[in-house]
Amino acid sequence: MKLSTLLRHGAIWLAVFVALFPIAWMASMAFKPPLEWTAAAGNITWLPKAPTLANFEYIFFGTSDAYPSSTVMEKTALRPIFASLLVSTIATMIATVVGSLAAYGYSRHGYGKSLPLALVQLRMFPPLAVIIPIMIMWAYLALIDTWWGLSLIYGIVTLPFAFWLMLTFLEEVPIELEEAALIEGASPSRIFYRITLPLVKPALATTALFVFILNWSDYILALMLTRSKWITIPVFMNDLNSAQTGQLYGAKAALGLIAIVPPLILGVLIQKHLVRGLTFGALKQ
Amino acid sequence: MSSGHAAKTPGKLSESLGERKSRRIGWLLTGPAQALLLFIVVFPTIVTVYVSLTLWTPLDGQPWTQAYRWFAWFDNYVEIFHDAKLFSALGRTLFMVAIAVALEFALGFGLALLFVDRFRFRPIYYTLILMPMMVVPAVAGYMFLMLFQSTGPINQIISAVSGQTFDPTWLANERLAVSAVITAEVWQWTPMVFLILLAGLMSVPEDQVKAARLLGANELQILRRISIPRIKVVIAIALGIRLIEGLKLFDIMYIMTRGGPGVATETLSLYIYKRTYGDLEWAYVSALGLTIVLAMSLVALCLLELAKRRGRQRPAGV
Repeated sequence: MKLSTLLRHGAIWLAVFVALFPIAWMASMAFKPPLEWTAAAGNITWLPKAPTLANFEYIFFGTSDAYPSSTVMEKTALRPIFASLLVSTIATMIATVVGSLAAYGYSRHGYGKSLPLALVQLRMFPPLAVIIPIMIMWAYLALIDTWWGLSLIYGIVTLPFAFWLMLTFLEEVPIELEEAALIEGASPSRIFYRITLPLVKPALATTALFVFILNWSDYILALMLTRSKWITIPVFMNDLNSAQTGQLYGAKAALGLIAIVPPLILGVLIQKHLVRGLTFGALKQ
Repeated sequence: MSSGHAAKTPGKLSESLGERKSRRIGWLLTGPAQALLLFIVVFPTIVTVYVSLTLWTPLDGQPWTQAYRWFAWFDNYVEIFHDAKLFSALGRTLFMVAIAVALEFALGFGLALLFVDRFRFRPIYYTLILMPMMVVPAVAGYMFLMLFQSTGPINQIISAVSGQTFDPTWLANERLAVSAVITAEVWQWTPMVFLILLAGLMSVPEDQVKAARLLGANELQILRRISIPRIKVVIAIALGIRLIEGLKLFDIMYIMTRGGPGVATETLSLYIYKRTYGDLEWAYVSALGLTIVLAMSLVALCLLELAKRRGRQRPAGV
């Protein structure tokens, strides 16, 4: 092997190692009993010496024999996991449906000329700079700490991505088919259902998955707009502490592992379109 | 790859469908999106402007509609300019974002160059390198919180490599805390820069590179004369997105340090968060938020105008 090839592979292996190490460390932590969470006397535990499911037991049932008795918690992670799933799914449906329809209207009928730019702008500002009026509005409309309130804000916040992704996908669908059908006398709704929709089905799936990842990854909005009933996984992770033992690293790692698995799988599935999604369709792969 | 989606004129069906009918359908289709947009823009804007002109706080026990009782004209806006803590938070944010984005760019570009040619298992390595960016940011914060424990793996690795005991408490030390949060940020977002830049590099025509190689150009020359000029726009997009996202910096820092120790890692967003929750100064934060939004819009407008002028001067480009 040539030296340059060797160097290249060395660099790539190093990059892969650095990319995966924190994830692997968390995965390993998730299966460690409390004694192995922190290193005692410089004896760090790389892989669990006594692998256990105690951490998962704890986050699902609120108690585990392996944990100190002072750590029993009333609220388990089940509810936040359910909240994350429900809210992300509904928000994804809102953003994908509303965004796709708007993209179709804009692309085919030239309506809503201000939408593309307005939607990008919506994404630009730091959420915290605009959160106060949203908190006031959410309180006023009794949307705080409700699943529909959180779904609504997620749907609005990810709408720009859905719109732009679908717009770039729609631009790739040849217009001639639709025009031909129109001349043949087919109604616009029939054309939409029979011609356009089947053609953009994969694009819709990609858009939905991308938007789902974004919704699932949110922290700040859930932190601000939920209190207890509908807190999501990342917000719930804050609660995995105990007064006596401090951070419950194992429990956090177990829940963290559960939190990162869906986006990792979905991300790999839509890998080909990530560039397009992340750059508002400005770049394609 | 293509750039510039506005190339084709929209409204392609309106000709064959008739202007009026097309308009009606367009209105129906874009209606929900416009409604959501109005919903999230109009009411909040009114509330922000109104509340920002008062000294109201939820602590007063009155709803926001009663805020006029504490009407104070532009006091909040004046305070912004006297808010030393705000400017130091802004300075820290820009400093950390600059370092993080520079590192992300250097590492991402280097990696992208390694991935231009095909080699064995390339798709697998590629997927693995993208992983950090798909990790939920808040979880990434917790990951690095664990990694940077004083007896954690990072100190262990440094000790093993250097042969000396190395066990500082990263997140309790001002300087080390800054490097720790930047490390987490760079770990998470280098893959995104890599992904975008690689998409750009892959779009450089292979025959041009081959021809240059035949003519005796070395790799560095090819990079400087062919690849980089061709992907200028892509580089600008990658940097632009990262800078804007960087200004939002919150999740990782909030979880790892809550802005501490002291205010060492307190970014703009964290500062706003503290004033929102710690002091409940909602009127002041409204004024601040509005100012930030206006300032960012102004900067974006200037950049767009600049880009347009550049584009007019050199229509060839990408």
